[in-house]
Amino acid sequence: MNILILGGNGMLGPWTIDALAGRHNLRVTDINDAPDGFEHEYVKLDAADLEGVIDAAAGMDVIVNLSVLREDRKLAFDVSTRGNYNMMIAARKHGIGRVVNTGPHFQTVGPQYEQWDFGLNPEMPPQPGTRLYALTKSLGQEITRLFAERHGIQVLTLHYYNMMHPDTHATVAGDTVPLHDDLTPFSVAWPDAGDAIRCAVEVPETRLYSKFESFFVFADLPHGKFRNDKIRRVLGWSPRYQLEARWNKPVVGS
Amino acid sequence: MNILVTQGKSGLAAALASRLSAEHAVKLTDVDIGDGVTQCDLGHDSATDDVVSGIDAIIHIGYNAVDSGDPTELLDYHTRGTYNLLTAAAEAGVSRCIYLSTLRLLQDYEENLTVTEKWRSLPPSEDPLLLSCHLGEIVCKEFARDGLIDVVTLRLGFPLVCGDRQAAVDSGESAAVALDDVLTAVERSLSADIARWQDVHIQSPVPQQRYLMHAAGELLQFPSASGTEGGA
Repeated sequence: MNILILGGNGMLGPWTIDALAGRHNLRVTDINDAPDGFEHEYVKLDAADLEGVIDAAAGMDVIVNLSVLREDRKLAFDVSTRGNYNMMIAARKHGIGRVVNTGPHFQTVGPQYEQWDFGLNPEMPPQPGTRLYALTKSLGQEITRLFAERHGIQVLTLHYYNMMHPDTHATVAGDTVPLHDDLTPFSVAWPDAGDAIRCAVEVPETRLYSKFESFFVFADLPHGKFRNDKIRRVLGWSPRYQLEARWNKPVVGS
Repeated sequence: MNILVTQGKSGLAAALASRLSAEHAVKLTDVDIGDGVTQCDLGHDSATDDVVSGIDAIIHIGYNAVDSGDPTELLDYHTRGTYNLLTAAAEAGVSRCIYLSTLRLLQDYEENLTVTEKWRSLPPSEDPLLLSCHLGEIVCKEFARDGLIDVVTLRLGFPLVCGDRQAAVDSGESAAVALDDVLTAVERSLSADIARWQDVHIQSPVPQQRYLMHAAGELLQFPSASGTEGGA
């Protein structure tokens, strides 16, 4: 398939590209310049540029949206909210049947859930709260839902939070983190995070209950705070890394 | 009470100012410059802080049937602008926001259904104005959920008919709302004992009335039997 990746030069982009390359034709966009030696088609593009997104989506079968901007108030709305509108307009214009959207878990299960409850799952009505990152992404998610239900575009939303290298358990290569000291119970290894995108791109539509489906992406963690059974069951995703060294105590005497 | 009304150059804002100024101090603000209107584009800056300073309640017009513009501007105003407005308002201690939305968000339900505030909105994605209005409701709701400001969302009937209740009846539209009824509902919402977030459907009582108004009756005593009552 021909796949457009928006925001592909961020942190999740390389892992997504690794998971998709060789199986699909990739057109990668980002607001920043392409990395040196980049091997795929690359378009420098601001997700807030409606006409640019429409142009970039021409000839594509699937759009994968990895774009995000968390801090600046105007840019956050431009990218995370209006960027999703632009993406869905482009999908509709070009007859693209599937969109894989991404965002943080708290765009759905925000503090009003997370501080109180367990067993949180992706079927819950969004309660992002007023944090800029959460709310702008949640508004973008709502836009995709409306387009999915109105226009029959299949939207799969993958929720992430902490992502880490499976060897060091650090988010950024080279950093160190304490082991055996617990972790955010919404954590996943980078390679598994990228593979979840592949599963969302490739899952047959017959396995999906509706045009708008959401999934939580994290390792098989024992906390019971969140649930990842849906992505395993529906998308067939199976995390290779369970990050046990973060949530197991060290063996006594070792 | 010191009241701020957004989209201050609109006819609805002018009518609100006229009605409310008998008992309240009303400030109008708009993104465009106009006579008697404080210009503010609801940016993330001191201009928005200034416009809410000293304000007790905000009437934020989220749907204006005559509004038009490109989707980018509409989405930006109703999402980011509302976020900036309510952030500044919460920091300034404004206690209540009345968000004027529209029952058009529920117009895709068939007319034989008993649509109340308990029914989910069905905003059409292809209409940027309605989509923006719906997203503005969500922004307001999250501020209320976080306990930063109380929000009453008044979803107004359509079309909005100038005049009294009889004018709404004469329109022949089953979801019509008379301007007089809108002003009454807004005025009562300023002081009504309402939870920190509440949707309220407001249309005029007309033959074959399309939307039920349980919340309006319970919380705002709207509509009363007479169509000629004034304020609260």
